[in-house]
Amino acid sequence: MSLVEDLRSTLGSDRVHSHPLELIVYDKDAGVTRGEAVAAVLPETTQEVAACVRIAAGHGVPVVARGAGTGLAGGSVPAEPALLLVLTRMNEIWEVDEHASTAWVGAGVLNLDLSRATEHLGLHYAPDPSSQAACTVGGNVATNAGGPHCLAEGTTVAHILGMELVTSDGEVVLLGGKAPDPPGLDLRGVVVGSEGTLGIVTKVLVKLTENPPAVRTLLLTFDSIQAAAAAVSGIIATGIVPAALEMMDQPMVVAVEGFTRAGLPVDAAAVLLAELVGLEEGVAAEAAEVERIAADAGAMSVRVATDEAERAILWKARKNAFGAVAQAAPDYYLHDTVVPRTKLVDVMTEIYAIGERNDLQMLNVFHAGDGNLHPLVAYDAREPGMNEKVRAAAEEMVRISVAAGGSLTGEHGVGLEKRDLMGLVFEPIDLDAQARLRDAFDPDGLMNPGKVLPTGSRCFDFDLAAREQAGPS
Amino acid sequence: MTVLRAELAKLAKGMMADPIPAAPPVDLTVAPAHIDEAAAILRFASTAGMRVLFWGGGTHQGIGNSLAPDVVMSTDRLNRIVDWQAEDLTVVVEAGVAVSDLEAQLQQRGQTAILPETPGGATVGGVVAAGVSGWRRLRYGPTRDRVLEVALATGDGRSVTGGGPLVKNVTGYDLPRLATGSLGSLGLIVRVCLKLWPLAADRGMVDVTDPEAALHSAYRPLAVIETNDGSTVYLAGTSAELQAQARSLGGRLTPGHRWPEPLAGPWEFTLRVPAGAVGQFVRSIRAHGWFFQAAHGVGEVRLVVDDVADERLTKLREAAEMMGGALVALRSPGDASLDPWGAVPASAGLQRRVKAAFDPVGVANPGILPGGI
Repeated sequence: MSLVEDLRSTLGSDRVHSHPLELIVYDKDAGVTRGEAVAAVLPETTQEVAACVRIAAGHGVPVVARGAGTGLAGGSVPAEPALLLVLTRMNEIWEVDEHASTAWVGAGVLNLDLSRATEHLGLHYAPDPSSQAACTVGGNVATNAGGPHCLAEGTTVAHILGMELVTSDGEVVLLGGKAPDPPGLDLRGVVVGSEGTLGIVTKVLVKLTENPPAVRTLLLTFDSIQAAAAAVSGIIATGIVPAALEMMDQPMVVAVEGFTRAGLPVDAAAVLLAELVGLEEGVAAEAAEVERIAADAGAMSVRVATDEAERAILWKARKNAFGAVAQAAPDYYLHDTVVPRTKLVDVMTEIYAIGERNDLQMLNVFHAGDGNLHPLVAYDAREPGMNEKVRAAAEEMVRISVAAGGSLTGEHGVGLEKRDLMGLVFEPIDLDAQARLRDAFDPDGLMNPGKVLPTGSRCFDFDLAAREQAGPS
Repeated sequence: MTVLRAELAKLAKGMMADPIPAAPPVDLTVAPAHIDEAAAILRFASTAGMRVLFWGGGTHQGIGNSLAPDVVMSTDRLNRIVDWQAEDLTVVVEAGVAVSDLEAQLQQRGQTAILPETPGGATVGGVVAAGVSGWRRLRYGPTRDRVLEVALATGDGRSVTGGGPLVKNVTGYDLPRLATGSLGSLGLIVRVCLKLWPLAADRGMVDVTDPEAALHSAYRPLAVIETNDGSTVYLAGTSAELQAQARSLGGRLTPGHRWPEPLAGPWEFTLRVPAGAVGQFVRSIRAHGWFFQAAHGVGEVRLVVDDVADERLTKLREAAEMMGGALVALRSPGDASLDPWGAVPASAGLQRRVKAAFDPVGVANPGILPGGI
C-alpha cells in the first residue's frame, strides 16, 4: 500500500489530506519559506502520532510536526518532501494540579487558552509570545519560545517539567515529570527547543505561575534610542528585574498607533514599556525607581496605566505590532537576534545603517531587557529583486549581532532560516557534537531533517581503529 | 597495561597532581589547567579503555553508582573566574572555582548565582555536574535554568562548547541543560556561563506552624523549609515587602537568613516527589523519627537514616516512585546494599545512546547514572 493508503487505514480518510489544494494551507509557516508536504494528517492521540511515525518510517518518508504554523524560522516547513503531523486537534487540557501549580496539556492547546483556563485558580502560563492567541504549546516547546514576560520568568524551557515524546522509531517515552530532577540525563531539557528533530512532543507537563498581587505598567518616552537604552541599562544595574521591558522605535509606534489607537506618543523616538509585578509595597517602590532612572536618562514623559483596562490596551498595542505592520506594506520579514544587553545601542545603530544603505523600510520592537532584537523590514515582495535584498540585509543583521557577542536567535529558533548561519556561532567540532546528539535520538534522520544543523555537520569521528591498535586494557 | 600507563604518565606530564585522600586509590591523578589538556587525557583514556573519575570539591561524590577508576581527574587547576559581565548579569567561570568564593565575589556587587547556600567545599563544576540546586529554587528555579553555556571535554576527547553566554538564546541544541546533572557521564565540565540575579535589598525569615498554608499565603517566597525543629519561610525584597509578607503570614520577622546546616549521618537521601505531596511524606518521615529538611513547593526532602536495611526506607522509595518520584542516595558509606537510584527510568535506552554520542567507549564516570549508564 502507498503511504497515504496506510495512513487512511489507520486514521480514516477524513484526517489524511494529500490533495495539493488541501496541502497548501499546511506547507508553510508565518515566515517566508514554503516546503513540500507528501500528505498532512490530523492525529488526535499520542498513539495515533506514534502509528503515523511508524508508517512514515516504513515508507522511508520523513515526518515534520506542526502546530498552528505561527513560527517564523521555517521550523515546521518541510526541507524535503515529508509527512506533516498537524497536532492542533490534540488540544485537551488533561489535568490541572492546583497544589503543585502544574498542568498536563496536549501539544495543540493554544498558549493563551492555557492561561485563560487557569485564571480562576490565580495561575497563568508565563511564556507569552506575541502570537500567544494563535500559537500552540507544542510549537512553543519546539522553538523554546519566549515573549515579553520571559525577562524575569525565563523562556519556555523553564516552564516545561515533563513530556510525552514519540521517538523516531515510533515508541512513546515519558521524559521528566512532576517530581523535581528525575534521575539520569535531562533529556526533557534538550528536547525543548529541538524543533521536532529529536522526536515529537504530544503532551506537555507545564509549570504554572502565580498571578502577581500587584502590577504596574509604565510607558516611558524618549527622544532617542540611546536614551531609552540607557534607561534599560540603568534599571538592570539598580538590581530591578522587571517582569517585562520592551522597546519600540518611532516607525513602529506610528504603525501600532494607527492600528490600535492605544494613545501611544507618535512623536517620541523611542518608547519603553516596563512592567513591574509583585507585592504592592515592592511594586510601588520599584515603579518610583524606574521613573527616576528614566528621568535621569532623559525621559520625555511617563504614563502609568491606571487600571487593568489601560494595561490591557498597552499590551495589546505591543503584541499587535506585527499585525500593524501589515498596514504599512504587503509583506514583512521579522528578524530575531540576541546581543548582550550592554551592546544594544551599538548594534541598533548598525542595524539602522543597514536599513538606510539598502533603502529598506525598517521598524523595531524588541525585548530590550534581555537584548533580544526584532528588526522588522516592511516591503513589497512583488518588487523585482526585493526578496533577495531583504534576505541579504537579514544576514547582515545577524552577522553584526554575532560580531557584538550575540547569537543567531533569541526565541524564534534556527529552523531553515538560520541553519546555514550556525557556523557563525559554533565551531565545526561543536556542530558535530550537536549532530551526534541528534543521531542518538534519530539515527535514520527521519525527524524534521534539514533543520537546525547545516548539512555535513557530522565531521569528527573518534578513531576506534587507534583503540584497537592499542589493544585491550 | 604498564606500557599504557607509562604512556599516559608521559602525556599527563605537567598535569600530575597529588592523590586526593578522599578519592578511590588510583595510579594517576591529573589536574588539567585547560580544556585541551583534559580532552587529551580523555582521548587517550578512550583509546586505552581507562575509566576516569572527575573530582571537584568531593562534596557530591556520594551520588550515583560507584566506580573503580583508573585515573582521577581533578578540576583544581581550572580555578578562574573568566569573565564577569555584571551589567549583563552573567559570569563565565571555570569548573574548579569554589561556590563560596564565587558567591563572595558576586556579592560585592550585589549579585548572586543562586548556587547552594551551604556549599561546604563544593565547586561550581561539581554543583552543575550533580545538578543540585539551593533552597532558593522555589523562587528562582533550579540550577539548570541558569547554565547558559558549557565547555565540555567529552569522553572521547573533544573540546566542545554548547549554548552561549547570553541570558536569552535558542541557537542550537541545549547542551548546557544536558550537561547539568549528567554527573560527568558525558565528559568533564570545564567551564560554564551562569545567569545571575541581583540580590534583594533586604532579607528576613518568619517561623510558621503550617508550612503548606504559608506557601499559599506568602507571595513567591525564596523557600519554605520544614525540619524536625519547625518550619520557616525565607523572604527577600524591600523592607516594606518583608513586613507585608510577615503580616500576611501572621508571624514575627527575623532579619537575615539562617539556612539549615547540612544533615549529618552515614546515609543521606533526597526524596523527590510532586510538590503537592511533600506534606504527606514529611508526616511519615517525622513519624519514623528520621532527621529531615523539606523544601515545600519544590518537592524535595533530604533525610538521613542510620540503617539502610530499614524496610521503611524501601516503602518510602516505593511510595515516591508510584508518584513518578524517586529516592536517591546522596551519601552512602562503603558498599551499599540499596541501589542508589532506585527504578531505572523509562528513557534509559535513549539515555544510553545520548551518553554514547559523547563518550562512545564509556570512560567518563562510567556506570554512574541509573541503570549503570
